[in-house]
Amino acid sequence: MENSEIGEKEPKIIRTTTAFDCGGRCPLRVHVENGKITRVESDDYHVEDEQLRACLRCRALRQYVYHSERLKYPLKRDGPKGSGKFKRISWEDALSEVARKLKEVKNKYGNSSIFLATGGGYLGALHDGMFAMIRLLTQFGGFSTHYGNVSSEGAVYATQTQYLSPFVGHSRTDLLNSKLIIMWGWDPARMISGSNTIYKLIQAKERGIKIICVDPRYTDSAVILADQWIPIIPGTDTAMMVAMAYVMIKEKIYDNDFLERFTIGFDKFSDYVMGKEDGIPKTPDWAAKITAVPAGLIRNLAREYASTKPAALMDCQGPARSAVGELYNRCAMTLTAMTGNVGKRGGSAAGGLMGIPYGHMFFSSRIPPPKRNPVEEGLISVRGSLDLQLRFQARCHTNKIFDAILEGKKGGYPFDVKFAWFVNNNFLNQLGNTNKAARALKQLDFMVCSELWLTPTAKYADIILPVTSAAERNDLTRPWPSGPYFTAMNKAIEPIGECKSDLRIAEELADKLEIEDFQKYPDELKALKFLIKLREDTRKNIRDIDEFREKGIKRLDLEQPYIAFKEQIDDIEKKPFETPSGKIEIYSQRIAELNDPDNPSIPKYMERWEGRYDPLGKKYPLQLLSPHPKNRVHSEMFLVEWLREVDPHVAWINPVDAKPRNIKDGDEILVFNDRGKLTITAWLTERIIPGVISIFEGAWYDPDENGIDRGGCVNTLTKDAFSPGGASALKSCLVEIKKFNGGA
Amino acid sequence: MQVGFYFDQTRCIGCSACAVACKDWHDIPAGPERWMRIKYNESGRFPNVFVSYLINPCFQCEDPVCIPVCPVGAISKRIEDGIVIVDSEKCLGNIECDSKCLKACPYDAPQFGPVKGSKMAKCNYCLDRFSEQKLPVCIEACRSHALDAGSLSHLREKYGNIQKANNFIYSERTKPAIIFKPKD
Repeated sequence: MENSEIGEKEPKIIRTTTAFDCGGRCPLRVHVENGKITRVESDDYHVEDEQLRACLRCRALRQYVYHSERLKYPLKRDGPKGSGKFKRISWEDALSEVARKLKEVKNKYGNSSIFLATGGGYLGALHDGMFAMIRLLTQFGGFSTHYGNVSSEGAVYATQTQYLSPFVGHSRTDLLNSKLIIMWGWDPARMISGSNTIYKLIQAKERGIKIICVDPRYTDSAVILADQWIPIIPGTDTAMMVAMAYVMIKEKIYDNDFLERFTIGFDKFSDYVMGKEDGIPKTPDWAAKITAVPAGLIRNLAREYASTKPAALMDCQGPARSAVGELYNRCAMTLTAMTGNVGKRGGSAAGGLMGIPYGHMFFSSRIPPPKRNPVEEGLISVRGSLDLQLRFQARCHTNKIFDAILEGKKGGYPFDVKFAWFVNNNFLNQLGNTNKAARALKQLDFMVCSELWLTPTAKYADIILPVTSAAERNDLTRPWPSGPYFTAMNKAIEPIGECKSDLRIAEELADKLEIEDFQKYPDELKALKFLIKLREDTRKNIRDIDEFREKGIKRLDLEQPYIAFKEQIDDIEKKPFETPSGKIEIYSQRIAELNDPDNPSIPKYMERWEGRYDPLGKKYPLQLLSPHPKNRVHSEMFLVEWLREVDPHVAWINPVDAKPRNIKDGDEILVFNDRGKLTITAWLTERIIPGVISIFEGAWYDPDENGIDRGGCVNTLTKDAFSPGGASALKSCLVEIKKFNGGA
Repeated sequence: MQVGFYFDQTRCIGCSACAVACKDWHDIPAGPERWMRIKYNESGRFPNVFVSYLINPCFQCEDPVCIPVCPVGAISKRIEDGIVIVDSEKCLGNIECDSKCLKACPYDAPQFGPVKGSKMAKCNYCLDRFSEQKLPVCIEACRSHALDAGSLSHLREKYGNIQKANNFIYSERTKPAIIFKPKD
């Protein structure tokens, strides 16, 4: 729909939101004057304590939307791949060239050589480029793509294993019903986890609820929340969790009744924990040597957690973004069952995903493609399976996209990529092994990128199509994991330059590809109404679309806070778990059948690779963490100066590690391993456990003539690998550091 | 009447949403002119670390020392509400007077842009919002609800009268209009 108000001279306030992959979803009030955004305010809900206040990122929305570096016109490569040299072309020429190339590749190599790389860069129902391109390429005869989400696949696999449901969260207000909150590798001060989560935790703390943070870093969340900070060596969380189970079993302080009624396989887990399986009792002393957490602390935490009811063990996704992957969440979930905290008010089922099924983005509606992707027709169904090989029948793992582009069928992948379309992502920068990604994209035949920016990924494109931002779109959006509410995106301004929405690009390209039955949605309001009706939760709750759009938000009033698996725990006979056994599967027969010694049927501590005890540590003795930045959304908003200046890009280093290397605070250092080198400023801090350095992900890759990344993109160092459960193992990474004095 | 701020240091995560909201509202480019700053303090040794954040706007002092040092009388304190304002027409710029106001202020509240000769600017308690009975933009920008503002006497009634916080020294000379819930 055309918004007739746009362009009027009278100052207006447009209620809208954005669609970033940030962990929140905040109502915004965008001031518009003469068709230009002048200011941004956030939620003004009358109940102040329930406001969904935007973070600094959307506070800087104006600078993001009007940034001088935003792409305004279609671009065609005008220099070697990766040189960043482009020339402006018309939409007509750009789309004709893309269509010509698509047809050529289809005819010459078949549809499986067309690769679609999609990310979370825009999470809206109507204009999401992923939805648009899937629909277009499906109707064009199909495409190859990837499996596994970079953020949370470990947690997804773990929750599929034990609950066969991703909805493991509670309403955030339920944190206030807890008596003990254990934040294990979770920093909502930075990665948001729901717009108001940090405030709910503050309220919990101020009610006297004890909060313990287990983390290699003294995070900003820990700074204000932690009654106790327990630093731990990255990758060893499971050893500590297993030792906590040992204490509970040894001292008979676990909830045996709960385990008998609601779980299977505790006996096998117990045999492992007590050493009956492998002769090693997983005592606190055993774990102390591995984790660097004193045995007494482990013992105390086990006792405190087992005896305080209800207690919420809040694991997250970060520690699972490693070679250890899913085992971290599986161990955490097992502890929540051992303490009988699953399905309980004030408790937690763990699992790291924290989602509630009210307004969750997993339920986002989309214009449905009229058929399945023909390239994936006739494959064995992956539904309910824990066998990753089934996922790879036609796809590669997300963290292997660039390896697949390089190696193709001869490398064991199901396709040879001749044409790749990157939409909603900056994967060269955001997946493991950026140098390898650059090599892959340099030799890729043809690449299209839909983007707002000339990102390090887009630099390698042959054609770049400039897309609109959330401020230039009408859409329907959802909070990331944590409703219960829905948000409306209302167009505040006309598109910048010649930018188009991804939906419009797909529609125009459909003409060029002569896809005659491609359904078009020229009337946005009609399309939004259709999308609202498509899903039960929006259909039921958004009765009046005009009112919804005017308010920008529809909050749901739940009578009680949502509590994951409450129905199952209240009456397991009537409502069994979705798993094959109908119970929480501490032991998984589905995993046992895979016969993979690296993927155990019960949760365990395993070292796997590039952890503290990998022999590679002799050469590269420091573990590298890459947590979420607070001042950008992954790599999105990287160029926004208001955001850059509040949090300079630095590496966290404990003075214990800096001193023997003669590194001082503020020095420029070289961080390196066999995969790459980057430079960054050293920040000496006592807030990180020795032997570990931390670089926030998302800074843009900027290699110099010696191949040293001067942009400090952390993935220059990380590995393009995944755990047996499919977690992108970006936090299993060993490096060395030294003072940088220029040169190689 | 004297306006003031309340800052709950135990809630501040140092996210800088207040600082970005301030730049957006007052349309100040990235760079040295920062009406709201966040000060960081870290002490102790691993694993016994202490960290605090502190907001640093202009505290609208009851006895602002910036006023008497200004050679041209460009700075004044409003009688009706105590907001300290600067007349940029009068201000000589930071070269000609050698930033006397900034040097005098114990909290570095007077700010200058990147250009030589920049006129002083600083937190004005969001005067435009204040005239519409709205709180400064930083207050509602705070995700942690760590900030409040209003008449200093009302704030004292509501929150007490603690004038100390970690990384903050109360100036008896200038009497900054801020009260705290300190982190310790």
